[in-house]
Amino acid sequence: MGINVNKLEMTLQQFVANASNVQGAAIVSPDGLTLASSLPGAMDEERVAAMSAAMLSLGERIGRELNRGEIARILVEGEQGYCILTSCTEEAVFLILADHNAKLGVINLEIKNVMGELRKQLLGVAQPVSL
Amino acid sequence: MEPLSFMEAIVRRVQLNEQDKQLLKQEAEWGKTIAPQMADVFYDYLGRDKEMNAILNAKEGRIHRLRETFIQWFYEMFTGIDNWGKAYADCRWKIGLVHVRSGIGPQHVVPAMAVVVTAVGQKLRSDGKPEALSDALSKICMIDLAFIEQAYSEALLKETGWSQALFQRLIAKGAAASV
Repeated sequence: MGINVNKLEMTLQQFVANASNVQGAAIVSPDGLTLASSLPGAMDEERVAAMSAAMLSLGERIGRELNRGEIARILVEGEQGYCILTSCTEEAVFLILADHNAKLGVINLEIKNVMGELRKQLLGVAQPVSL
Repeated sequence: MEPLSFMEAIVRRVQLNEQDKQLLKQEAEWGKTIAPQMADVFYDYLGRDKEMNAILNAKEGRIHRLRETFIQWFYEMFTGIDNWGKAYADCRWKIGLVHVRSGIGPQHVVPAMAVVVTAVGQKLRSDGKPEALSDALSKICMIDLAFIEQAYSEALLKETGWSQALFQRLIAKGAAASV
C-alpha cells in the first residue's frame, strides 16, 4: 500500500492545530528529504528536513559510541522553545517544534498519541508505540 | 567507499589515457632520480607554513618518514604500481587516511602539490623531456589529491553517521540560505 501524502499532511496539520504549544511538525527521511510537513511559513522546509535528519543521525552515532542503546528521541531546548526529533520508522524521522511554554510531559504524550497513526500511514500497519 | 571504483571515476574525469600511462612508465626511472629533489620542494614549501610545520614536526622522525613516503609516492605516480589498478587505488586511499589522521588537509596539500607540479615542469624542460609528461603527471596528481579530499569526506560521514546524500543536501541548503 502506498503512502498517502495528503493524509499524512492532514495528520500533521491536525496535530499542530490541536497539540498544546506545538508550532510545527514534519516527517523527513534519513537522507533529509521532506515526506510531509506543517511548519511555520518562514521556515525553509527542505533545510529543516536536512538539519533534522543530520541531527538524528549524529545523535544515533553518539548513542552507539557512548553505549546509550537505540536513540528514541533528541531534544534541543532554546530560549524560544523546543525542537524534538523522534525516530518514527527506519525510513522516517518525526520533528516537532514547540514554544517555550510547552510542558515536556504533555508534549511527549502528544507525540506518543500521534506516532501510532503516523507509523500506520507510513508502514501500512499499526505499530506498537513504546516511548 | 571502494577505492578502485572511486579511482576509475576520477580517471575518467581527468581523462587519463593509455598514452599518458605509457609515457609515465617510460619515464619512471627519471622520476625516481628527481623524487628526492621534489620531496625537498614539497616539504620546504609546507615547512614555511606555521601550522603545517607544527604538524610535520609534532613527532620525532615524522618529517623524515614523510619524506621517504613522498619519494616512494612520487615514483609510484610514474609506475602506476599495477597499471593504476586496485593496488594503486588501495595505496592512495591509505595515503588519504594517513593525511586525515595527521591533520594534513587538502587546503595544505593542494598548494604544495601545485608547487611540485611547477617544479617538475621546470625540471622536465631542463632535462629535455616531452611536455606531454607534464600533463600526464598533473592528471595523476589530481587523482591522488582527489583521494585525500575523499578521505576527509569519508571520515566526516563515518563520524557523523550521515549519508553522502544527506551531507550534500545539508551543505547545499545551508549554502543557499546564506547567500
